[in-house]
Amino acid sequence: MTADAEHAPLPTGGSPALTSTGGWIEQRTRGRALMDALLHVRIPAEARTFYFGGIALFLFGIQVATGTLLALYYSPTPEAAYDSVLFVMSDVRFGWLIRSVHHWAANLMILFVVLHLLRVVFQAAYKYPRELTWLFGMGLLGATMVFGFTGYLLPWDQRAYWATVVGTEIAGSVPLIGDQLLLFLRGGEDVTGATLSRFFGVHVLVMPLALAGLLAVHLTLVHQLGLANPKRPEPREGPPKGKGIPFFPNYILDELIAWYVVLALLVVLASLFPAGLEEQANPLETPAHTKPEWYFLAVYEFLKLVPRIFGIMLPIVGLGLLTALPFLDRRPEVLARNRKVAVGVATVVVVAVVGMTARGFLS
Amino acid sequence: MDEGTQPAAAPPSGTQPAAAPPSGTQPAAAPPSGTQPGGSAEIPRRRFLRWLLGFSILSTMAMVAAPVVTFLVPPKSSAAGSGGKVLAGTVADIPVGTGKVVAMGSQPTIVVNTAQGVLAYSAICTHLGCIVMYDALSSTIACPCHDGRFSPANGAVVSGPPPAALPPVTVSVEGDEIYLVSA
Repeated sequence: MTADAEHAPLPTGGSPALTSTGGWIEQRTRGRALMDALLHVRIPAEARTFYFGGIALFLFGIQVATGTLLALYYSPTPEAAYDSVLFVMSDVRFGWLIRSVHHWAANLMILFVVLHLLRVVFQAAYKYPRELTWLFGMGLLGATMVFGFTGYLLPWDQRAYWATVVGTEIAGSVPLIGDQLLLFLRGGEDVTGATLSRFFGVHVLVMPLALAGLLAVHLTLVHQLGLANPKRPEPREGPPKGKGIPFFPNYILDELIAWYVVLALLVVLASLFPAGLEEQANPLETPAHTKPEWYFLAVYEFLKLVPRIFGIMLPIVGLGLLTALPFLDRRPEVLARNRKVAVGVATVVVVAVVGMTARGFLS
Repeated sequence: MDEGTQPAAAPPSGTQPAAAPPSGTQPAAAPPSGTQPGGSAEIPRRRFLRWLLGFSILSTMAMVAAPVVTFLVPPKSSAAGSGGKVLAGTVADIPVGTGKVVAMGSQPTIVVNTAQGVLAYSAICTHLGCIVMYDALSSTIACPCHDGRFSPANGAVVSGPPPAALPPVTVSVEGDEIYLVSA
């Protein structure tokens, strides 16, 4: 804050908006200037975000709230975990709803993070000056996947247990570091109580802090740089050209409506398709037809078709290239018709991943 | 919505206003139609929408808060052991002039064998909730925390800080076996 601002006269409560409570709070926080700086910005009139990123943020909020509630009843030990989840589902009032909303919001969060990524790719919003925003966004994608993977084990049922056995086994096949990675993930040779403690700690302590930190930087950058214009490249000097519309209230109102629709969708999904619970985990019996969750299904299916080393390395290299995208595709061009290579490759990858996922569902 | 230029109330859908409002003035109400009771004061559209918005926000908050608040209330534990009899031991275990703390469900209970017969009380000290024990030296029920003392004969406070007597528990001696009976 500048010296001038420090000596600015305090609001006296004269204007109607600043009377009573509002004025009292403003005098003690000087928050109005901050809110003005955050809200009263303009976004390009051509910007089309489809609210994907905002919806992912909303779903993260839902996960924090429902996850905190579930943690009040959950016991992270192999002896008690399954019974505590069963207790939440059958004895705690609305326990089924809270757990089912947590389950569905997790799935939707991954879906919307991926949709947000695709929107940014196809609109070339990762280009100058938003390379760092992209990198932090990729970090958020990784954090979301780790959330999904670690949370999956916690109910300690057959599905949870064997998905984790297979998932960590795949990680153990990574060249050079595989053996150490497997031990690190499992907290030992096998999936045991040590794995459960580890996954629980990562899921409820490490990842929320990591994701919140990444998110803070990501959102700060979005605020500092503004939304990308999908119709014209960002000028290297001077402010972006083109018509702008107010971020608040126009965009915020639309965003809130989108959140409201997603909340309704969550309630419907949780009510009609509540989260299930299979038999308690049994390390001596693998159930038939074990499949990972849909977001790991493409990799799982791909592994069936190609040699293991290739099936593991291709997604890793692919993710690496995707992360480096703003540094590989540095032309300022943003219109899809002039970005035939980037848009073509992205389309092929999307079709391949969707195709593999569909194949996994049907197999 | 353009404030100030709208008629004060919308006509019911499917009907036409009988006349356009005179320019520059606000009509007090929509023209009466067959579907509306005559004479009722109508609500301006803007205020109605504000109420609708407020109602929607409040009902959404209630929808979210109700499950969350009820979720936080722990369900009654099935291990509480309400009703029934619990075997506390045999008379041989607790000879005259001794006592023993046993669990009745999740409730600690002290069984004492006195000259008046076998009696039982809640073992939770009425002072600050510590578990009492039988003190053979002084022949009292004693609390180790603040040295509160109770009479084995009736649970009454003999000395120390406890504010009330130990609540009695029903005992039934069947042959050699001592049972605690819960309501």
